[in-house]
Amino acid sequence: MSGGDTVQVEKLVKVYPGDVKAVNGIDFSVARGEFFGLLGPNGAGKSTTMKIMSTLLRKTSGKVTVAGHDVEHNQMEVRRSIGFAMQEVGLDDLAQGRDFLVTQGLLYGLTPAASRARAGELLELVGLTEAAKRKVGTYSGGMRRRIDLVSALMHNPPILFLDEPTTGLDPQSRHAIWGHLEQLNRNGTTIILTTQIMEEADRLCQRVAIIDQGVIVAQGTPKSLKAEVGGDVVILTLGQDGAAQGESLTNKVTSLLTSRNYVLGVSAPTGNGAQLSVTVRNGGEVVPDLMRFLGDNGIAVSNLSVASPTLDDVFLKHTGHKIRSDSTSGDELGQITKAMLGVNQRR
Amino acid sequence: MSILTQTWYIYARNFKTWMAQPALVIPSIIFPAFFFLLFAAPLGGVTNLPDFPTDDYEAYMTATILVMSVVFSGADAAMAILADILSGYFDKLLLAPINRFSILLSSLLMAGTRALFQVIVIIVIALILGVSFKGGVPGILFIAVLATILGMAWSCVGLMIAIKTKSAQITQTSWLLFMPVAFLTTAYMPKDFLGGWFKWAVTINPVDYVLDSIRVVVITGWAWGDIMLGLWVLIGMTALALGVATWMYRRETA
Repeated sequence: MSGGDTVQVEKLVKVYPGDVKAVNGIDFSVARGEFFGLLGPNGAGKSTTMKIMSTLLRKTSGKVTVAGHDVEHNQMEVRRSIGFAMQEVGLDDLAQGRDFLVTQGLLYGLTPAASRARAGELLELVGLTEAAKRKVGTYSGGMRRRIDLVSALMHNPPILFLDEPTTGLDPQSRHAIWGHLEQLNRNGTTIILTTQIMEEADRLCQRVAIIDQGVIVAQGTPKSLKAEVGGDVVILTLGQDGAAQGESLTNKVTSLLTSRNYVLGVSAPTGNGAQLSVTVRNGGEVVPDLMRFLGDNGIAVSNLSVASPTLDDVFLKHTGHKIRSDSTSGDELGQITKAMLGVNQRR
Repeated sequence: MSILTQTWYIYARNFKTWMAQPALVIPSIIFPAFFFLLFAAPLGGVTNLPDFPTDDYEAYMTATILVMSVVFSGADAAMAILADILSGYFDKLLLAPINRFSILLSSLLMAGTRALFQVIVIIVIALILGVSFKGGVPGILFIAVLATILGMAWSCVGLMIAIKTKSAQITQTSWLLFMPVAFLTTAYMPKDFLGGWFKWAVTINPVDYVLDSIRVVVITGWAWGDIMLGLWVLIGMTALALGVATWMYRRETA
């Protein structure tokens, strides 16, 4: 327990009626100003944890403090300190967008004038000013998410909880929400987010906890977690006309490459000898040297790409299964960069 | 921010929600109008029976329609809070740093508002039909208060069903529960005219005592001896409903 932590969860257990253990003794803490992610599949216990942290649900055992307040003994203070955008939006469909926000502000103790001003600001922020007079029930999915998100911001909470804030959104809306969240975090808001979208955790979170079946299986920065999985993979296509090169060249390149200290392994995945899969430490940083080295030794390379391990690989390593069967995030495609030296350095 | 301020904010929101649904407001006008049309007019002949307490059957039926309308308005209260539970807005209210009883209180106030609106509509129709309220203007105010409180008491029952079941299907059929208490009464005829199990059911139905008090004020006037029993029953019934609803609400939201 360090002094800078604003959310602390210790040995948290939640057992639902019927002896269903949703959360089975998890520990984590989040520092003030941090962007923290709980990453896991459906039913992992993410939402249950969030609901306990936000006073909506009682825990079975353990200790949870938010902004220094115990979630069971000091509910009011906890609620004042947090904004919570739940997995399912909770909107007042028959109210106009602006009225919905203003009521929200009033309930958090804003004066009517302050609440109206804040509602105007936030509507502007998420591009809903035009729709402010429309009933919330007429909003599209993306608009509903956005107004739900800003309804949690009316009272300027120092801590923001987000339970799968972009699930079910199209890529454009998703990126818009990410932009807002990054902005908020830059301005000092502590954010705890749950997600099953790897790209989301990777892009937004400074630290993630991977949770599966009510247990945290790994915790750390996305970078360190991915580093644990192993190095990056550089895919090389040799020569000007690929397959004509033959096995001797492959063997020569392989022995050349293994002499470099950053190369962890070399294999020829396609079996035709033209392509080599080279596992390296810090792919982005070593590629320039790799290219120079091969050039100096008279080896022509017609194509090169670098792939990093994803959080999916991290999840797979720790749990033995994939986070989602349909987990084809744009991430995996995005990081295979087809360029000679302009390799995309990932964050 | 006091609980009263919080209650007021949520009440204002509930009121706007109600006004935004004319489909809910209009039937509460049409329903009593139909009642007068379908029952009061064709059944008027029963006043010719010996010992019928009035010769104005529409006056007799005014009390009936008032009581039935407000009892059934309990289902409206249930549907209103259920809509919020299902939409997730209820959770949003629970997340706010407010006294959670302000949510229950504002729902009950809204139920009272709906009941009062019904009561006013019915009294206006009755006046148009020429019903003479023997209790005078104070009598009209008195029965309006009684009927509104009765509506709030039965709204507690509706709220309990909604909060406990969180099911649209079950809540939608909650009016089945309100049926016997609304109909097993002296709605159409005085008790002396009834017989058998029906008379027995009417005797144990607390709503009938309130109905009786209201009717006395309409057709007889300020006969306190006949009014007091129903008043006590209403107070007891309301206290019980409020108590149980509060207890259940605390269990479900704590």
